[in-house]
Amino acid sequence: MTRRRHSPDVLTQLHTQQAQDRENDSLQTGSFPVVRKKPKRLFDGRTVQMRLVTSVLILVMCALLGFGYMIQLNNTNATYETLSEDELTRLISETGTQVQNLEQRKAELTSQLESIKAAANKTQEAEKIAKQNEETSGILAGRLPASGKGVSITITQGSKTAVDAATMFKLIEELRNAGAEVMAINDVRVVTSTYIADTSEGLECDGITLSTPYHVLAIGDPQNLQNAVNIAGGVGSSLKVKYGARVTVTTSDSITIEQTRTPVEYQYAKTVQ
Amino acid sequence: MAAVLGLIIGVVVGLFVKPDIPILLQPYLPIMVVAALDALLGAARAYFERSFSDKVFVISFISNVVTATLLVLLGNQLGVGSQLQTAVIVVLGIRIFSNVSAIRRFIFRG
Repeated sequence: MTRRRHSPDVLTQLHTQQAQDRENDSLQTGSFPVVRKKPKRLFDGRTVQMRLVTSVLILVMCALLGFGYMIQLNNTNATYETLSEDELTRLISETGTQVQNLEQRKAELTSQLESIKAAANKTQEAEKIAKQNEETSGILAGRLPASGKGVSITITQGSKTAVDAATMFKLIEELRNAGAEVMAINDVRVVTSTYIADTSEGLECDGITLSTPYHVLAIGDPQNLQNAVNIAGGVGSSLKVKYGARVTVTTSDSITIEQTRTPVEYQYAKTVQ
Repeated sequence: MAAVLGLIIGVVVGLFVKPDIPILLQPYLPIMVVAALDALLGAARAYFERSFSDKVFVISFISNVVTATLLVLLGNQLGVGSQLQTAVIVVLGIRIFSNVSAIRRFIFRG
């Protein structure tokens, strides 16, 4: 009974206690009691001086702080000093591998460059040779017009008999022997396959009838060519003596042979690879 | 007032003057800066608590910087420089946080 009579009393006690505790624990004043009292300042000269000095000191120190902060901001990249040994080792090995990779890449690129250069040289060389070939074979095959030192030969119609093909061909052969590089008879460029035949209308050269007087142009050493025609007992004299034709050989420093020939398509001959 | 003025002056000077700090001082400069920052925040907290004292601030500032530097120097000599540096930074960081939280509690009352 007593317990029962007392229990509400205890409960109210606990209740009031709790309320009191809450009030006591109240953080209303904050963690920092605002009740601290400052000692009254004495405004004599010494204190003012001291305050001035401390203010200046604070200013200087804070300035140093800001200064150091800014310097450190600008300086963070170069502080290998503060790295540990492990980090430095790692850094070195990383840099080493990077360098190796770059070296390898460089070697690859260098070899590539070399091969490209070599290829370019080869192409250039091939181009040069091809151009040379084109010129020489073009002149040889009669594809290109040519000019140079040489002789111009004029043969009139023979007064005794007409000049026959064999003699004309002999003239060509003689000129060839004397080193004629390019020749032409009237409108026909003389090439390796040139033939001269006798027909009822006169001489025919490569299917074209030659009209008199015959103009033979030859490029080569003028002196040699002239000698080849005019030599005693040569073609020139036989033309004069046998056929009664007039042969004039004039040397010139600039013989131009405009006559060209379209190149023949070879039907049977193939180049050997 | 003097502190804020000093900070501004220091930052401005640091922006325009870029001297080569001696290599001997290089590893200690960041620690010194952090220690000084801690002292500054401690001073701010004291200011809010109305218990700020010039003398205490000056002494705490200098002693903070010197202690941190000496600790790191000691660590460097013992071969645990980086670890001790980390320790100092951690401790100072914790102090800075507690100071800032105290200031925050004062300002926002919670």
